[in-house]
Amino acid sequence: MPQTTAMKRSQFLHSLLVLPAALLLPGCNKSETGASAENAAGAGKKLTIAFMPKSKGNSYFINCEKGAREAVQELGVDLLFDGPTNTDPAKQNEIVENWITLGVDVMAVACENKEGISGALKKAQEKGIKVVTFDSDTTPDARSFFVSQATAQGIGEGLMDEAARLCGEEGEFAIITATLTAANMNEWRKYIEARLAEKYPKMKLVDTKPCDDQKDKAQQETTNLLGANPNLKCIMAICSPAVPGAAEAVKQAGKAGAVKVLGLGLPSENRAYLKDGITQSVILWKVADLGYLALHAAHALGSGALKAGDTSFKAGRLGELQVDSDGAIILGKPFVFNKENVDQFDF
Amino acid sequence: MNRYFRELSVAGALVLLLGLLGVVAPQFFELQPLLSRLTAQVPTLVLTIGIAMVMITRQIDISVGSQFGLCAVLAGNLLAGGLSLPLALPLAATAGAAMGALNGCLVAWLGLPSIVVTLATMVTWAEVLRLTQQGRFINLPAGVQWLSLSQAAGQTALLAASLALLAAMAWLLKNRSGGRHLYAVGSDAEAARLSGINPKATTFWVFVFMGALAGVAAVCNLVQSPQVDPKCGTGLELKAIAAAVVGGIAVNGGRGSLWGAFVGLLLLATINPALTFLHVEAYWEKAIQGLVILLAVVADGIRSRRNAS
Repeated sequence: MPQTTAMKRSQFLHSLLVLPAALLLPGCNKSETGASAENAAGAGKKLTIAFMPKSKGNSYFINCEKGAREAVQELGVDLLFDGPTNTDPAKQNEIVENWITLGVDVMAVACENKEGISGALKKAQEKGIKVVTFDSDTTPDARSFFVSQATAQGIGEGLMDEAARLCGEEGEFAIITATLTAANMNEWRKYIEARLAEKYPKMKLVDTKPCDDQKDKAQQETTNLLGANPNLKCIMAICSPAVPGAAEAVKQAGKAGAVKVLGLGLPSENRAYLKDGITQSVILWKVADLGYLALHAAHALGSGALKAGDTSFKAGRLGELQVDSDGAIILGKPFVFNKENVDQFDF
Repeated sequence: MNRYFRELSVAGALVLLLGLLGVVAPQFFELQPLLSRLTAQVPTLVLTIGIAMVMITRQIDISVGSQFGLCAVLAGNLLAGGLSLPLALPLAATAGAAMGALNGCLVAWLGLPSIVVTLATMVTWAEVLRLTQQGRFINLPAGVQWLSLSQAAGQTALLAASLALLAAMAWLLKNRSGGRHLYAVGSDAEAARLSGINPKATTFWVFVFMGALAGVAAVCNLVQSPQVDPKCGTGLELKAIAAAVVGGIAVNGGRGSLWGAFVGLLLLATINPALTFLHVEAYWEKAIQGLVILLAVVADGIRSRRNAS
């Protein structure tokens, strides 16, 4: 009984509070009043959005964070920013658990391990927390939307086509990745290999090595690959620190130009190697835009503006973007930069 | 003869592996790449010397990777700001020594376990590094790489300097009283105290020296490329500890030699390129390294049980 009374009282207070608000809203008919009032109340409450990169120390994700903070300014939400200092799937789960305890409204997560984090994210969803992933996805049932820098297919095929172009469509190449468990890179590798099998019969992938997301390790792995595979024509580095690492090894081996270097990386870290003709092409999207879009998607999902089944959504300065049937929001086509255009980029 | 059994068996394993490479992949011994591979291990060797001394004293320091990263970024920024290498090196070593002194104070005089203390400082320095550097690479001025020498000369100089350091420290540990004190404190701190050694001071200075070596190692690393990756220290503590353990430095102190740790490092550092040259998939690398470490620890366990009975 006391509970019911309390509830009635709170309902009464609530209606007292929302009534004037409803009266202030122009053009509302009576049947819509409740819903509008609720929306108004929802918009009034600041959303708390939790944002997690794969690794806080990586300049790629630091650029992501910049974009996210820009969106935070625009949208006026509360941001919780946390992540592992270095790539660490277990630490990501721990942080998700903490956020569940804190009761955030929306989580935006770049997942290090696709399956490993899905349990924790599903638990968050059961507690009513909305989940979007960005950069690299979890399993589709553990999130509402995935904010993708480009499709895995677009990246994989873009890399393979560029490598083939640099090698004249024949010869041996090797891949340097971050870790063999990195979900997004494994997806790219799948499409790289599919494209290779389908279009470039005279090219051969001789090895794939992890560099633990470190430049110096990538340099050592490349030195070994060059020695072990004397016919190597191209190194494809698919994580950002690996591109300058691979280039330095090719330079030290005295094979600049003879062995081509391409990869996914930041312009600022590759400028000198591009200009010296050691690295030929670097492929990337605008990283800050990815963080910006992730935060916009998280906000839209949290405020109800973006719902399952929507086919497009408007993300601030990025305009109207497509949402595909798997719930992926695509930032756009990756960009190839080279000796000629690298100076147009400042990140 | 039994005394060097461990060092000799690790060296034997290394010789076997090199022999296999000589037969299956002789291009492994091509001079230029071999020189690059060896030089790339110089920073880890410098750290291994320090960590072996810490372990002989029956302590551990898992913060050395973070110290290394912080020193690398400090030296990198100083060099980028126009400071010369002969000044940046002692500054990096001093910064490392200061971080080591903090570890040393907490362990020696507050009596806290070194694993906990250095875990705390490891995380702290890693976060300081992240906040100050924000993951940005540092571009070094021309002339820093290879100490303004040619590539081959620079590599040779780094190798020679690190081997000289190894030989000097190995000799000091074996033949000078200061070196013997580490073994005494690591075997039995109370007995060492009763025989007139100050275990607290010994422990403190070992951590300080370790920190200074982390700074030196960081500089040995940054002269090998034109950019500093602020994550360059990540995981290095484990590589150094693994090398020491495999090379016969006892985890519970008081036993082992720097030459053993050196051979342990060579073995572990050969496994990774060997797999590439033997065209074994990368998935096996960490499993095999883990297995080698496990073998070493089991061998230690059997040895200490036999000694006890």
